[in-house]
Amino acid sequence: MKQAQVPAVLESVLHEIPGIQITPKEGSRVRVDVAPGALPAILELLKGQLGFMHLSAISCIDWPQTDEFELVYTVWSHEQKMTVSAHVTIPRDPGEYVSVYDIHTPAGFFERDIHEMFGVRFDGSPNLRKFILTSWNGPPPMLKSFDTLAYVEETFQWVDYRPEWLRDIEAKGGGIDSEGEGAPS
Amino acid sequence: MRPQNYRPVAHPPSHEYELYFGPNHPGIEGNYAIRVRLKGDVIQEAIADGGYLHRGFEKIMESRLWIQNVALVPRICVPDPVPMEDSYARSVEALGGLEVPERAQWIRVLMLEVSRICAHLFTFGGNAATIGLYTNMFWGVSMRDLFLDIFEEITGARIYHMYITPGGVRRDLPPGILDKLSAVIDELERRAPEFDDLFFDSTVVMNRAAGCGTMTQEQALSWGVTGPNLRACGLPFDLRRDDPYLVYPELDFDIPTETAGDALARMRVRKAEVQQSIRILRQVIARLPSVKGPIRCPLPNPLAWNVPAGEAYARAESSKGELGFFVVSNGGDKPWRVHVRGPSQMHAVQVLENLLTGARIEDIAQIMFSLDACPPEVDR
Repeated sequence: MKQAQVPAVLESVLHEIPGIQITPKEGSRVRVDVAPGALPAILELLKGQLGFMHLSAISCIDWPQTDEFELVYTVWSHEQKMTVSAHVTIPRDPGEYVSVYDIHTPAGFFERDIHEMFGVRFDGSPNLRKFILTSWNGPPPMLKSFDTLAYVEETFQWVDYRPEWLRDIEAKGGGIDSEGEGAPS
Repeated sequence: MRPQNYRPVAHPPSHEYELYFGPNHPGIEGNYAIRVRLKGDVIQEAIADGGYLHRGFEKIMESRLWIQNVALVPRICVPDPVPMEDSYARSVEALGGLEVPERAQWIRVLMLEVSRICAHLFTFGGNAATIGLYTNMFWGVSMRDLFLDIFEEITGARIYHMYITPGGVRRDLPPGILDKLSAVIDELERRAPEFDDLFFDSTVVMNRAAGCGTMTQEQALSWGVTGPNLRACGLPFDLRRDDPYLVYPELDFDIPTETAGDALARMRVRKAEVQQSIRILRQVIARLPSVKGPIRCPLPNPLAWNVPAGEAYARAESSKGELGFFVVSNGGDKPWRVHVRGPSQMHAVQVLENLLTGARIEDIAQIMFSLDACPPEVDR
């Protein structure tokens, strides 16, 4: 794969930020590694000065080896035709970070999703209510420590299939559970 | 006398009521729900409620080999599965440093554009059905079936093709398929005026879709809207042109736009996009026979393939907008993390909630369909 140069326009805007590391990646994407405290300012700078106004995604990666979460903010500029992924790492405990909803409205969805799936709390995010896992009370399932197979083994019982089941169901008048919890009131 | 511990229960004003719209409702796209609070027939507040199609794709992909995930990714979005396969494959290729042979790139473009036409035909039908025009659905699905026949002949499957793999495509095109495809797109063009009569020239559509679910370009940009929904607001943003992939730079096509930003404009953009996809397919059909060579680059043993550590973000312009795969490898034989960014994550949640507020109850289904929101992309 061909590796691109760091675009001069990006370097000129970001070079003053201390500790920043800029790496060209595949295609038009540039990776920027920043300190957690500097990220909102960088997103603001990119949006204001270079037109990075489209937030494509916020992705979260769980790194139990270092006890950290990596958050990746992928933004696109319609003017520069360029993608920047800004990477920050935060400690898993307490797993808290700031919301960037005031800079990019779509962050609301991604932060809610990450909160639900990884348990990261975003301070200032407008809505961290459950969305997908509304009746789930277990740990955030996208954590590496959550083992889906072990959960299934512990929660459900393996039962061999018996063809008589179908006959039992038919005898009761079809697939409608008329006695259990799902019975129509 | 009231007891001392009496506390009046807070009721909403009697002229307001709540309605749970979905998840099994003929006017909703897929298994999805919207909780709406209404005053009369005007929506005061809408809250999207997803999760009915959550199958934990991102989690499962972490426990499957890189190559096994080829079978999983198309299942994320039923109406438009090919961009899923392509984006996943390109993200793995970026990580593994694989160069896709030119012939495979042309075949992928063929698959992507046929998938786009299929998805748009579906959306026309769905959108028409929300305002009482059911014939479009039947015609659209029957036309789409002819394209599914093409898919079946190329890949062996009609919907979930599992055809695009990291490094290229699974097998070469069968003989005579380009002529068959050519005949199907001729048939689509022949029938296009009938679709116009039925839909775009219909008084019902003009009265119901014009001015419905309108957003400005500024709103669309701040809400993260992409794809035809954004182009219906006047911005000609298309990843095939702006952040090109595969052989799109070699193809001649226009980016259709509209300015009204309403349901009608969104459907008009899709109609024009079908015409552009036909234009692209004609170029692919003309070019493919002269592009010789392999259809896949040499791959390591896929059952023991350790993809180099790193991260990649590959995205495609799907029929709905920006579809991205953010994939992280720790150098192992399985992905460490896969994040799927579907365009409907914006369109079906924040955008839908915003557009529904102030709309009327009879327009809920139409607004959702006109956004072409795909719930399985949201739930993953």
